[in-house]
Amino acid sequence: MSAIIEVQGVIKDYPLGKLSVRALHGVDLTIARGEFTAIAGPSGSGKTTLLNLIGCVDVPTEGTVVFDGAVTSKLSDRELTRLRLEKLGFIFQSFNLVAVLSVFQNVELPLLLQGGIGNDERKKRVVDILDRVGIGKYIGHRPNELSGGQRQRVAIARALVTRPKLVLADEPTANLDSVTGGQILGLMKELNQQQGVTFLFSTHDHRVMELAGRIVQVQDGRVVDDGKQGKTPTSASAAAPTPAAH
Amino acid sequence: MIIFEIARNNLLASRRRTLFLGTALFGVTLLFVLLLSLTAGVTDNLIRGATAVSSGHVNIAGYYKSSPTDSQALVTNVDTLKAEARQALPDAVVVIDRLRGWGKIIADRGSVQTGINGIAFDDEADLFSMLTLAPAKDYRENPANPEETRGNFADLQKPNTILLFAGQAKLLKAEVGDSVTLRTETLKGATNTADVTVVAIARDLGLLSGFASFVPKQAVIDLYQFKPGVSGVVQIYLKDIKRSTAAMNELRAHLAKKGYAQLEHDAQPFFIKLLQTVPGEDWTGAKLDVTTWEDEGAFLVQIINGLKAVSLALVMLLAFVIVVGISNTMTIAVRERTREIGTLRAIGMNRSSILMLFLLEAAILGIVASGAGGLAGAGIAAAINAAAIRVDVDAMRIVLLSDTLHLVPRVVDVVIAVAVLTFVSAAAAFFPALRAARITPVTAMQSAE
Repeated sequence: MSAIIEVQGVIKDYPLGKLSVRALHGVDLTIARGEFTAIAGPSGSGKTTLLNLIGCVDVPTEGTVVFDGAVTSKLSDRELTRLRLEKLGFIFQSFNLVAVLSVFQNVELPLLLQGGIGNDERKKRVVDILDRVGIGKYIGHRPNELSGGQRQRVAIARALVTRPKLVLADEPTANLDSVTGGQILGLMKELNQQQGVTFLFSTHDHRVMELAGRIVQVQDGRVVDDGKQGKTPTSASAAAPTPAAH
Repeated sequence: MIIFEIARNNLLASRRRTLFLGTALFGVTLLFVLLLSLTAGVTDNLIRGATAVSSGHVNIAGYYKSSPTDSQALVTNVDTLKAEARQALPDAVVVIDRLRGWGKIIADRGSVQTGINGIAFDDEADLFSMLTLAPAKDYRENPANPEETRGNFADLQKPNTILLFAGQAKLLKAEVGDSVTLRTETLKGATNTADVTVVAIARDLGLLSGFASFVPKQAVIDLYQFKPGVSGVVQIYLKDIKRSTAAMNELRAHLAKKGYAQLEHDAQPFFIKLLQTVPGEDWTGAKLDVTTWEDEGAFLVQIINGLKAVSLALVMLLAFVIVVGISNTMTIAVRERTREIGTLRAIGMNRSSILMLFLLEAAILGIVASGAGGLAGAGIAAAINAAAIRVDVDAMRIVLLSDTLHLVPRVVDVVIAVAVLTFVSAAAAFFPALRAARITPVTAMQSAE
């Protein structure tokens, strides 16, 4: 299976006053299309930094990140924005929905930014994906009227509505109870299997890791185990629960 | 459209902040519209006063000098001149002539200098439509019946009569029915006098009416011993007063072509030319002088310009306060909404849309609050105008060119005020919006950690 992500010798330094803190120390990683991969590691290990670089919201200090054939460090801000809009979906730990928009509008937003989609087609895609994640009856609600699990389902719908090639999820279950977290991961897994969307998510929760097809272990800014010898995308160890709003 | 929705909803979500800034914008726009209405009112007073008392929209005055040092306000062959005016200006609605003089009104208990206008009552329907009889309180001390009006404008058709304005009557301590003496100097340098009866006392029409009185034409002819066909000025009223300057130029060209000698155009009222400018010029004979109503009220235009300057300074000061308030508030909003901005950037919104989002927020606030302020200002101005509030302070009357508070709310002024305040509001948000647009999308990921 061809690689959608190739991370080659990536170093990432962050300035800290007059000093510089190295968050990643020469990371190499390849993610194939259709994988359902977890990046695991303790807090501060560099998981989020790695996701930021792969998600084209940041660029490496050294090394290259190749996303779907494009070297991200060579792209302009405008090109990176377009790439995120068309090929990437994001799921955040704190859901990051736009508080002043309804569930429908939150999910519709990326399609409106993309443009070129007719009103009827856009509405159909939004309704379909909301139904698909089990949140269709909350279409007119505002995010603050939903539970954490429901919000994360909306976030998943928003991430998937543009039919991206890769969905990045940064600790998607960290703010959810274990049952809801399991359901969310199950939903992501189901979408991965049914729609073939590549999922890459960070976590330090061992129960969540169990669902991953592959687990990449990160520690102190280094990949200590890229998971290629372990789980594969087709051998998920847990069955996906039926989507339902919680 | 979704950007508009986010902007609008964010305003609604931050109710207290929106209400605070909205109230400030509302207040400043209201004040701005009131000041613009006041300026328009004063301008209106000037136009009404100037065109009723001392000028047509365009005038053909004449000056005659028998020696280099003297000056007399007269035009000869007035009927020919009126015909020339009608020929040159087909859009002239009314063409009349008045005799002009300058002299002193002497009463038993006082005297005042005045311009003397000799008029034909039947020609002056427009003048009398603008004049109203003054109540006794306007010119008499402690009247038994303050609102009582006496006299009749139509009595000016009778010989040896005079119409005074309230300010003059107050100085002269004159009443309707009193006999006063007009004293002038003839062309040959002799002093001439005429006794006239006060038949009406009109409400003041601002500063201009302080220097004007009206008598029948024959009274001026007798005072100055003019020959038939002589008058003081031809006053031309157009369909559209805005065409005054263009019409003046057309008339000047027409008269020049017909061989009439003319004074160079000088934006001064007639009495300044009569008493200062023309006597100082080294020529003899007759010259015409074509002017507009604005020229005749030029000294009053300075009052309007001063009022405009004060209004502008006040509004700019308040707008500066608005700018600081909106800028600070938007800076706080950007800081509070860093995660939202980062999220929007992460999911594919570009920098210019983020910039637009915050500018739109300020612009929506601006147009709604200033729109409401503009309408409220226009409403209050209309109410004040309808109330016809009397101004008792003389200095204020001079500035306002009227004895009542006259405000003219105009759609164009409301539009200007709303546009300016909306622009100010959006401009104040520019730098915070730029800062928002520069937030990197990685912020969203970091804020989620």
